[in-house]
Amino acid sequence: MKTDVLIIGGGPAGLSAAIETASRGLDVTIVDEASQLGGQLNQQTQVLRPLPSVYEPMRGFELANKLIEQIKGFNVRLLLNHRVVGFYADGSAGITDEENVFPVKAKKIIVASGAAEKAVAFPKWTMPGIMTIGAAQTLINRDFVMPGKEAVIVGSSDFAMETAIQLMDVGIRVKAIIEKQSGALAKEQEKASELSKNGIPFYFNSFIKEARGNGQVEQIDIELPDEVITLSVDLVCMDGGRAPILDVFYQLGCSFGFQEELGGWVPQYNHTLQTGREDVYLAGNAAGISTQGPLLLTGMIAGISVSEELQAISPAEANEMREALWKELGLLEDKEVYSGRIKHLENFTSPLLKDQFIS
Amino acid sequence: MHIEKHPVLGRQLHKPVTIYFNDQPYQAYTQQSVAAALMANGIKKLGVSRKLVQSRGLFCSRGRCCSCYMTIDGEDHVRSCLTEVEEGMRIYPNMDDPEVRREIDED
Ligand code: FES
Repeated sequence: MKTDVLIIGGGPAGLSAAIETASRGLDVTIVDEASQLGGQLNQQTQVLRPLPSVYEPMRGFELANKLIEQIKGFNVRLLLNHRVVGFYADGSAGITDEENVFPVKAKKIIVASGAAEKAVAFPKWTMPGIMTIGAAQTLINRDFVMPGKEAVIVGSSDFAMETAIQLMDVGIRVKAIIEKQSGALAKEQEKASELSKNGIPFYFNSFIKEARGNGQVEQIDIELPDEVITLSVDLVCMDGGRAPILDVFYQLGCSFGFQEELGGWVPQYNHTLQTGREDVYLAGNAAGISTQGPLLLTGMIAGISVSEELQAISPAEANEMREALWKELGLLEDKEVYSGRIKHLENFTSPLLKDQFIS
Repeated sequence: MHIEKHPVLGRQLHKPVTIYFNDQPYQAYTQQSVAAALMANGIKKLGVSRKLVQSRGLFCSRGRCCSCYMTIDGEDHVRSCLTEVEEGMRIYPNMDDPEVRREIDED
């Protein structure tokens, strides 16, 4: 199979890159291991803001539908329930439908592989009933399943607060928010105060000492600053933050740099979102952990750069659009993340890790 | 428990199907993943870890952590959080290392 642009990942960044490239007449292929486009947006019921100026604020799944609707009119081939498993010597991607593997030769590749949630380790954290906040959200909003009846949340980021509210809304009793720092980390203070108003205790400077249960979590011990308390719970949702998913970049031989603000190890890239490999671009959380608005913007930037390389738009036009998008990114993105991004761009010519397989 | 009426999304559970876990029938709905459908029926333990034989269940629900391996319709080592339920599906927990896959049509 041949295609102009192969987009790995059909979440918000991959879809916005697809819109930019396919709308200019390029032949685009999207591969995603899920059975549905939209990535994590599909189970996000919260209202997303700020979004790029072309979108008004809307809920995550509404945004997914909107993006999917937009690519419908264009020449986009979908390989859902498919995975990239490696690359051939000639640069073709090896793609599997879980039965056979076949090569796809693309002129340019945009990797929008997203992020994975990290764990918070404590004794017995691997027991059933203990899961990431993202998993709990998926169960409620995609599968329509109650992940438990009585829960604690480990962590107090915006995402953790949002998930706690969504758990409560379906009738799960949230018994405590456990945070090892001395205050709530959420930037949107209203969410934390909504939870305290509902009588949910925040335990600061605290952590789970141990979980217990027979085949699934039943009890946890929480180490508070001056005592240890025990709670009966059947659900522990942990927020360990997120890190970019890098597998494909290792296989492609891209170079990496370490950038704390972007979530740790991130492939090197320049202002066109081109990686250390000329034919490979990246977008979304793979380019550094961020919020949905900026994820869309990076997808647009990568899409425009690839369109320019494949001569679907002029360099002058591409430059102008890219500059406007970077400006908008600077306005929408969290200040720390954005400055991490700028630092990361500056390191493009001096990558820390190159030609190494560390996966 | 299945969520019959979601506070934001409303009623979404449409097509009920019957799945079998350890040969026992359970009710699920077509859009659900195997791991989620089992959880709705109170089953959280999906298998055990290969080395220390400790209980494992759904952890990431994203296909990243591989904590949810199960045997589904005769295939070992399938990520149950990424597999959607189908009518009559036969599901078994992951209790040890899978058999290495062989050519099926070699008789
Ligand atoms: S729960 Fe992590 S791979 Fe299925």
